[in-house]
Amino acid sequence: MSRSLGFVAGLLWLLGALPVSAADKSDFFEQRIRPLLVERCEGCHSTRKGKTQGGLALDSRQGWTTGGDSGPAIIPGKPEQSRLIQAIGYADDALQMPPESAGGKLSDAEIALLTEWVAQGAFDPREAKPLRGGLTEQQLRDWWSFQPVRDVVVPDSAPAAPAEHPIDRLLHRELLAAGLLPAPAASRRELIRRISHDLTGLPPTADEVRAFENDDSPQAYARLIDRLLGSARYGERWGRHWLDVVRYADTAGENTDHPIPDAWRYRNWVIDAFNRDLPYDQFVRDQIAGDLIHADAPPDQYAAGVVATGFLALARRFDHDSDKWMHLTIEDTIDTVGKAFLGLSVACARCHDHKYDPISARDYYALYGIFSSTRYAFPGCEAKQQPRDLVPLLPPAEWARTIEPFDRALATLDGSLKEVDAALAEQSKNFSKAVGDQVRKLATGQIADGGAQRLSEGTDPLLEVAVTPGQLLLLTIDPDGNYGADTTVIDWELVEQGGANRRWNLARDVTTDLLQGNPHADGQQHPGVWLFLDARGGLGLLPDRVANLNGQPALSAWRKGDNPSVFVNASPDPVKVWTTLPGRSVFVHPAQDGPVAIGWVSPIAGTVKIEGRVADGHPGGPNGVGWKLEHLTGDLTAVLTEMSTLAARRSEFATQRTALLAKAPLKETAYAVVEGTAANARVHLRGDPEKPGDEVPRRWLELFGGEVLPEQAGSGRRQLANWLSDARNPLVARVIVNRVWLQHFGTGLVPTPNDFGTRGQVPTHPELLDWLARQLVESGWSIKSLHRLILQSAAYQRSSRQPDRALLDAALARDPNNMLYWRFNRLRLDAEGLRDSLLMASGQLDLSPGQALPIPPAPGWSYTQHVPFAGVPESNQRTIYQIVLRNRRPPFMALFDGADPNATTPLRQVTTVPTQSLYFLNDPFFHAQAEALARRVLEAPTDELRVRRLYELALQRDATAAEVTAALGFAVEYTAALAAEPEAERPRAVWSALARIVLASNEFLYVD
Amino acid sequence: MSRPEWSRRTLLKSAVANSLLFPGLLSELLGADDPVPRSVGPANPLAPREPHFAPRAKAVIFLFMSGGVSHVDSFDPKPRLFADHGKQVVFDHPETRNRPGYEKIFLKRPDWKFAPRGQSGIEVSDLFPHIAAQADDLAVIRSLHTSHSNHYNATLGMHTGSFAFARPSIGSWLSYGLGTENQNLPSFLVLAPQMPYAGTQVWASDFLPAAHQGTRVMPGAEPVANLKRRVPTERRQELELAALKSLNLAHQQTRPEDPQLAARIRSFETAQGMQDEMPRALDFSQETEATLGLYGLQPGQTDGFGWQCLAARRLVERGVRFVELIHTGSSANWDSHGNMADHGRLAPQVDQPIAGLLRDLKQRGLFDDVLVVWTSEFGRTPFNNTADAPGREHHNWAFSSWLAGAGVKRGFVHGSTDEHGIRPAEKPMHVHDFHASILHLMGIDHERLTYRHGGRDFRLTDVHGVVAPELFS
Repeated sequence: MSRSLGFVAGLLWLLGALPVSAADKSDFFEQRIRPLLVERCEGCHSTRKGKTQGGLALDSRQGWTTGGDSGPAIIPGKPEQSRLIQAIGYADDALQMPPESAGGKLSDAEIALLTEWVAQGAFDPREAKPLRGGLTEQQLRDWWSFQPVRDVVVPDSAPAAPAEHPIDRLLHRELLAAGLLPAPAASRRELIRRISHDLTGLPPTADEVRAFENDDSPQAYARLIDRLLGSARYGERWGRHWLDVVRYADTAGENTDHPIPDAWRYRNWVIDAFNRDLPYDQFVRDQIAGDLIHADAPPDQYAAGVVATGFLALARRFDHDSDKWMHLTIEDTIDTVGKAFLGLSVACARCHDHKYDPISARDYYALYGIFSSTRYAFPGCEAKQQPRDLVPLLPPAEWARTIEPFDRALATLDGSLKEVDAALAEQSKNFSKAVGDQVRKLATGQIADGGAQRLSEGTDPLLEVAVTPGQLLLLTIDPDGNYGADTTVIDWELVEQGGANRRWNLARDVTTDLLQGNPHADGQQHPGVWLFLDARGGLGLLPDRVANLNGQPALSAWRKGDNPSVFVNASPDPVKVWTTLPGRSVFVHPAQDGPVAIGWVSPIAGTVKIEGRVADGHPGGPNGVGWKLEHLTGDLTAVLTEMSTLAARRSEFATQRTALLAKAPLKETAYAVVEGTAANARVHLRGDPEKPGDEVPRRWLELFGGEVLPEQAGSGRRQLANWLSDARNPLVARVIVNRVWLQHFGTGLVPTPNDFGTRGQVPTHPELLDWLARQLVESGWSIKSLHRLILQSAAYQRSSRQPDRALLDAALARDPNNMLYWRFNRLRLDAEGLRDSLLMASGQLDLSPGQALPIPPAPGWSYTQHVPFAGVPESNQRTIYQIVLRNRRPPFMALFDGADPNATTPLRQVTTVPTQSLYFLNDPFFHAQAEALARRVLEAPTDELRVRRLYELALQRDATAAEVTAALGFAVEYTAALAAEPEAERPRAVWSALARIVLASNEFLYVD
Repeated sequence: MSRPEWSRRTLLKSAVANSLLFPGLLSELLGADDPVPRSVGPANPLAPREPHFAPRAKAVIFLFMSGGVSHVDSFDPKPRLFADHGKQVVFDHPETRNRPGYEKIFLKRPDWKFAPRGQSGIEVSDLFPHIAAQADDLAVIRSLHTSHSNHYNATLGMHTGSFAFARPSIGSWLSYGLGTENQNLPSFLVLAPQMPYAGTQVWASDFLPAAHQGTRVMPGAEPVANLKRRVPTERRQELELAALKSLNLAHQQTRPEDPQLAARIRSFETAQGMQDEMPRALDFSQETEATLGLYGLQPGQTDGFGWQCLAARRLVERGVRFVELIHTGSSANWDSHGNMADHGRLAPQVDQPIAGLLRDLKQRGLFDDVLVVWTSEFGRTPFNNTADAPGREHHNWAFSSWLAGAGVKRGFVHGSTDEHGIRPAEKPMHVHDFHASILHLMGIDHERLTYRHGGRDFRLTDVHGVVAPELFS
């Protein structure tokens, strides 16, 4: 090194570039070093450019002093010890900078310059600006959304556009300043259609429209608002808006998309919260810490509090074993919490300080600690199929009282079972002793994957044997390498030679009533002829009786644990489970560590001929199994009698246990969270949980003061719930007010509802936003009051049309996007609105509230990435009650811009694509609704009345005379095109066609 | 606070009048300063757009073999693996770590012989004899690697660049970046008879506007959902569409300034066009027997991978931007744990059709416009827990893929693995680099094709991806 440094100095001297004085040092830096750093290093190492690879910034002195993940980059005066100089020298294979992808090694002269600069003390005048996340203190002070909500002075009504309502006075100031005038008021019909879709997601009925049109009372509109806000449909509409924001789904989203049977409780809690106008601050708190806040409340209230935390539990799960990826689930939680309640992308700070907003990585891990101190319900995944940690709806003490007698009875039974199992284990040893060496091999064999072998095809078969009562013929099946696929079909029959020529057929004797006992009787009144045995080590009776194996009523089994097992398909038809099981057959599955066996205890003295077949029941495994047939020639009567007695007792206890379990107090559960082990988290360097950094105390975001948890705070969710609902927080009220405004008008006052940070857009009407925020808080956070306030404004009641052409042209020229609200935005029905409206027009809509979905019970689950959970059938209930799958989105929801169930959706896109029109042309559901509507229409006696009824049902208005004429004309023309149809069919065809036309029309899909 | 000034942003907004109702489209126009749409038609996110630089290819056919094709049995010849069969090795491998029965692992010889092929002498195994015969057309990549050894994650990664989160598919990104040439067909079609691992996320547009999502095409009577006219006669549909149009025009008369309404009226005409065009694209009756024969198809056959391949040629001919062909799905696929002989069963299903596709594209001059990509989510282990275990496990450390057609070197091998095919030895190429290179061939700079979502600019390649110019002709 020293020699090369000498060389460097020489080179620099030749270049005439050696700095001498302080001024020279400055010049040297500015002329030689700064440009070099900018050009060759800062592309990847600059705070200003937002790229600090390896954590290293080279755009300030502090950047290289602190250095990156591996410490300071430069030691002034010591080039040999400076990692930067080592890196540019390409001496170390593992650390070569700049890398090939960034232009490769520096030239010798450039290396010499940097080396000399470091050797001379690395003079660097560049100061890093102290940052809060991605903002300087000044930027932080300047950014609108971090300032407290202001007191707003509502301007007086302007003579040019007189207005009573404060919203209108605030809007008009901007509107008039732009030289625009508001559009006239909407018609009564437009207004009731608009507000019905808006508040309930459904159109009004024609009768409701007429009644409202004819109601001259000044209170008519206020009464309409109250009626709609009081309707149970309101929560179904506005709850759905919230479910968009919290990425609601009925599946977990990991590799198998495990279903979450309890998710619906949270969905319904949200609907109910809107319907009962739960104050928004309480709504926020309950979702973060409802279980803690209502711990001592009456049982119903406690249960609702638990269910509310489903918001947290519904965070997405990842990968094959989702327990191992909880850091991503927590990221999803933080992302959703930040955006939903604060309009801030906090999760951006997982790997590094936020680039644009005042959120540091330490902020992220301060919150992370709160969620990692929380125990989330576990939905099951490919590696662990069964859910766990679901939260009982009863408070813990209540539940303990309820469950106590049951637990006691169960413990007693389990004790008895344990005793009898011990006795059986003892007998199993006696059994081995009794067998001793009196074993005669009759045949052995081996079958390959997918193979089958008759017993007579085994090695040295000896299949006619003399037996005496109490002797045992034993067929044993050995596992092979991949034991998982070792399901094996056993056919076995013994035929008495001479004598009575009796036959014992395994399948005939046991398939219909396998669970009758083990030992199992033959069909000839001999008890205890067939034995189902665990053949690992000694021989023991398989103890566990299982009905409805895999949820299939035809399948039952004797087994120990999962395996070894002997099971039957009692149905005459094949049953498809992990493999296809032929009808009326007997199967065995060995254990991973040893064989399973079936025994036949001879009830006779005589000679039997043994016939049978062993076949692979799960081809593609990839291997088969081994088998052997033996004759145990000792008299096993005594030991078998003893074992049978014990087995019968065990069976009796097991039956009692099943009966007891069936009567167990029903533990209703929620997919929710509870307190875990409280502990601070460590920073994950670059977001990698394998690289822990400093511990960060759990606390609130520094932006809002960084308050830390008190002692004994538990996870900190209770405090977080308070911080997130604090009226003094500048974002909480603004964010929700903006969401409500957005849903009413189709645009937000802040056009980026999930981003109030510096990358978001600024409010179009900041004073209005603050005024509304203040009103919300002063109303006691009542969302319904906020609705009333907004809905009473003239702005909401404006027409979406400006009939005056000159005014329209002026407005379109000045404000084409209607940012000033000179008219009402025409809105397209969203996916839910479209489906529900179609069902309503067809008369098929089922308005009963959805409860649990028909998801199969958890004990039968075996979802894999190969065969994931695929959903449940649709119902005619409202769309909000249909299943939401994370990994297999239903095509309809994808087609009509439904919410993304994997991430928070702040506003629905509105796209118009031809594949949507194909839906209106050809979709079976759409056609079915049109046909049902046609049936309703055909109830009217004349064609003219039918047209009128069609318009009433679909568009909630009277058809005009021209429309009646046009429709009747269409009917004639269409009938002419139906020559090939039987005459009786023609009216149905004609009116279905007319129904399709009206249901596909723009008037149906868009709300003025 | 002052009102936001009139800027390009505002001007764009007025160009898409009323477009706050099209937030997707609007943010698409605003989010990406380039590529600039050639024509800012209201509400047509699929209009063709200029790429960042002159493209080498105009369309992509993406052949995805689901389940994990063994590289050491197909495109990555390893003589030492034959020689060292049965030798015990030690690796901290994700598929054998802490797995009962996998305490010891042994090298396992390939089941197919390799031979040099064509003028280039690229070694390809007998597993794919027909593709091997086209070796001079291929740029084989032997040094690919990926971030996960699970099907779900690796499949998601190969399509979206994300191994855990739902993100837009590569086809959606290209649709977003380039639009499409034929407005009567979707920009991104996925010919998938079965559902793949990770389900519809494989072709989802995620946060990109829904117009860019992949449309699934299934062999059979109705290849695209709702494509088949449900009313029995064309005449009846014409009457209905005419009546609908006049109803909509009457409605529009008092709302003349709303581009949404006009766009939807137009979209019924496009839908009708699609209803006609798609069946034509999938109607092989005008194809000669010689052409059908190239793909191993019988006249009238409407299934099999040969059908998928010929359909792909006909779709790119008609201007579809990205056509993906998935071979099988999440089961009964290339996942030959049990027995590698299963590769022998599957290979003939795709071998001749793929070779036929390459030859057909060439003879029609489409090789200059169309990029063909062949890949799988990962490779298979060159070892197993017994030397004579008949199967192989998942291997994400190294695997092989190939590119062919527009802009790609012919008869070329990129990168290599070590002597046993365990890890890349030269020019390792991550899936992100693979994506960056594909985008580059389409005239797109993967670092500039971004979309603002949730306060952040997203890319197909996240913060990674290095283009491999060596691959380009």
